[in-house]
Amino acid sequence: MKRNKLRYLVILVLLSLVVTACGGDSDTASETPEVTEAPTETLAAPATTSPPPVKLVVWAEEKVATALDPLVGAYEAAAGVDIEVVVYDFGQIRTDVQTAGPAGEGPDVFLGAHDWVGELAANGVVAPLDLGAVASDLFEVGVQGFSYGGEVYGFPYATEAIAMFYNKSLVDGVPTSWSDVKASCDAAGTELCVGAPGGGGGGDAYHMHPFFGSTGGYIFAFDAGFDPSDVGFDNPQAIAAAEYLDTLVKDGTVASTDYGASMSAFQEGRAPYWMTGPWARGDASAVDYGVALIPQFDGNAATPFVGVRGAMVSAFSDNKVLAQSFILDFFATVEVQQSMYNSDPRLPATKSLFAIVEADDPIAAQFAASAANGIPMPNIPEMGSVWGPVGDAMLIIRDQNYGTNEETGVTVNSATDAVKLAAEQIRTAIAGG
Amino acid sequence: MKLSSIARYVILGIFNAGSIYLIPLIITFESWFLLIVLIFISFLINFTYLTDRYKALKWITPGVIFMFSFVVFPAGYNAYVSFTNWSTGHILTKTQALNLLEAKTYTPENQRGIEFDIYILENDKKEYYYLADLDENNLLFGKAVNQENIESSSFAIHEPSLVNDSGQVIAPKGFKLLTGKEQINIANELQELSLVVNKETRVQLYKISVFGSSTGRLLSTSQRYLYNEDDDVLIDNSTGVICSNDGDNFICNGESVDPGWRIFVGSENYKRLFSNQRIRGPLQLVTKWTFQFATLTVFLAFVVGLLLSITLNKENLKFKRLYRSLYILPYAIPAFVSVLVWKGLLNPDYGVINNWLDPIYTFFDIEPIKWLKTKESARAAVLLVNTWLGFPYMFLITTGALQSIPKELIEAAKVDGASGIQTFWKITFPLLMVSISPLLIGSFAFNFNNFTLIFLLSGGGPPVIGSEVAVGWTDILISFSYRLAISGGRGNLFGLASSVTIIIFGIVLLISAISFRYTKRLERVYGNI
Repeated sequence: MKRNKLRYLVILVLLSLVVTACGGDSDTASETPEVTEAPTETLAAPATTSPPPVKLVVWAEEKVATALDPLVGAYEAAAGVDIEVVVYDFGQIRTDVQTAGPAGEGPDVFLGAHDWVGELAANGVVAPLDLGAVASDLFEVGVQGFSYGGEVYGFPYATEAIAMFYNKSLVDGVPTSWSDVKASCDAAGTELCVGAPGGGGGGDAYHMHPFFGSTGGYIFAFDAGFDPSDVGFDNPQAIAAAEYLDTLVKDGTVASTDYGASMSAFQEGRAPYWMTGPWARGDASAVDYGVALIPQFDGNAATPFVGVRGAMVSAFSDNKVLAQSFILDFFATVEVQQSMYNSDPRLPATKSLFAIVEADDPIAAQFAASAANGIPMPNIPEMGSVWGPVGDAMLIIRDQNYGTNEETGVTVNSATDAVKLAAEQIRTAIAGG
Repeated sequence: MKLSSIARYVILGIFNAGSIYLIPLIITFESWFLLIVLIFISFLINFTYLTDRYKALKWITPGVIFMFSFVVFPAGYNAYVSFTNWSTGHILTKTQALNLLEAKTYTPENQRGIEFDIYILENDKKEYYYLADLDENNLLFGKAVNQENIESSSFAIHEPSLVNDSGQVIAPKGFKLLTGKEQINIANELQELSLVVNKETRVQLYKISVFGSSTGRLLSTSQRYLYNEDDDVLIDNSTGVICSNDGDNFICNGESVDPGWRIFVGSENYKRLFSNQRIRGPLQLVTKWTFQFATLTVFLAFVVGLLLSITLNKENLKFKRLYRSLYILPYAIPAFVSVLVWKGLLNPDYGVINNWLDPIYTFFDIEPIKWLKTKESARAAVLLVNTWLGFPYMFLITTGALQSIPKELIEAAKVDGASGIQTFWKITFPLLMVSISPLLIGSFAFNFNNFTLIFLLSGGGPPVIGSEVAVGWTDILISFSYRLAISGGRGNLFGLASSVTIIIFGIVLLISAISFRYTKRLERVYGNI
């Protein structure tokens, strides 16, 4: 009996292969002309035979897909194309466009995060996208995020950045300068002052960026794309910023907390400030909170790391002009952008949508204002070797964990040492490949 | 004809139809390896089930096919990848990379960002003519040609007569103005066409609008890169630089051009692993902990499981079944779920465990343990959770083994005046080890590669501060190779990570072989009792 069962299994597996192969085949559109659509189409087309409608495959995560689905009908009717919006797990898009694209099975248009761009472009799976006239409606930071090697690779539709939550029952607002922060905490009489992720044992380069990036420190220099050969994490400004962070930690302004600890401190009223992003609004609502910009450093606006999401065109699309047209002529319109915002309220990347959102949701507007000051997370593949060292260096300062590491024999005695060590680690990692 | 043989032929028929359908499909994708495998498998299946000559094959064939497709093939493929440069920037074949490079166009610096309306006209012969509305002095009209005919094409001419005073386009006789919808239907044809303006410049369509007029932009007439097959070099037309071939990349002015392609690099990855101090240091650290982790975790789970099974093996114990089923519970919950639950319990700030331990902390006036945040606590937590996950298995197998030990032996020992402890160490335990040790070896090999636990519980962390590659205190070899794979100096290093997994495979193989030999000796010593 066992043998028979196995045989059925083999056959089942092979059959399912056949079925998937059939499923994939309908993409070519040559086999299945959509007869149902034909009568309405022929009204416009003078030709006697109606060709099968052109098909455009879009990969999108669920929330965006549900927003797009009811809207694409209008474009389908106006353009006479068949738009297939495929619901995809967001993170999965990154890996699958790289395998499905070269195999001829990929999407024409896909949505993704800007920090994939370097990897996707290096692998040759994403095509440049000339934004043309729509660029004037976009915040600079979003376009920068999708720039790589002198080309732009996507249309940004949402951004994300951290700002400062404050507890309205403890403080009136967020001071504009870091030197006034401590005084406001003393007046409130709380146990901790600013709860910022990136300390307490949990390294977090993302949340720590304003502390080293606001006064001129940078991870990679930016000029129409990030330059991996120019690491500025230990330039004089960055070192000064690290030493300033060291004083902020020493005088108790910035508490030694990781994400969880800073959250609970804020929720329990033990810290009047919490430095994090819009995803935490639900958690912050345990207290009566407001949101404002992160205090300035030495008169410079705090620059958070900005994450950007956008629509990209696959390099393996057979119909690139159509894919571009779909993005620029339809996806970029404020109606579509607003509908996506309603379904998934991320900070708008277009000025026109920001103007609408600003009036309705002042807190979202604060985050968007913070993002407008920020810089995009570098999108080059070399970023993989940055998160660890930078997070660790900032962690050493945050936790005042100076001294010699027994196992590695590395000595770090000051904030300057920590930053220099991390910059060196990044450089060797990039050089060593 | 019997029903069984009818079923056999029907199913075989379906199978064959499937494989015949697949063959042309595979040919179009040019995956020759898959084709060979498919032909081989269908031949084998037909041969086995159509003839009655080799009865034994009928039993073995499906198993062999499964073994090859799910064990041998992935392992072999992994080994193959470890000998290639597969990494970010090198995932395509050379042909694919060249196709992409040669399809690239460029706009000269001074013409960037110029955007203008473009109209598409079609004549009776289904030829397309573009009218590009650059400005008042440049209403360019001409036939749109494809890539091959660009050089022979005549230049576009200024035709102000085609637009009337109110700015509308009037199609000349014999031409029809295409709407946005009509353009979209032939978009894949139009994207290949260009209107040649002069020797250097051409106009291409880049956005078709269904709500207004379409948009065009200026491009250089030459493509960005030209591949010279004889010298195996790439010529960058935008700068005139000749880019040399680096083996897996073209290098222009010292900078590599994306994308590169994948090649066979021999033992390069292995050499890097052992010669590169940057990787070798962390590798030693991780290897040491991997052995400690796998050994300790098997030992702890075994001790707990054995203690429980001995306790519950008492003859006159009440509710024995209830206890047993309770102890199996951790085994019944999927590890994915329980590991994540444990992660929540261990949270140092609001986890249940620190909450419970709080009285102890206050009584002895000590700092609460920062679970998973320091080296010691993270390692302890990993071991604790894995013991919890692993003891039911040990409990199950030792219970079974204990029950299979003949009672006469124990009674004989009692008669000879042996104490309980003596009986256990001299009789029960050695006999237990005969049947259990292969399973312990299996458990060791499993935990050696217990990626799920490490990844979900600690993510390998906390980080080893000051190490030169990203590595954590609880990273085991397999999670370290995952880190290597996803966070190399420049993106993903699949080739290098594969070579680590091959080394892991070697280590596990070696340990298993040695241990099995040792177990055989145990069997020879105690098996005859």
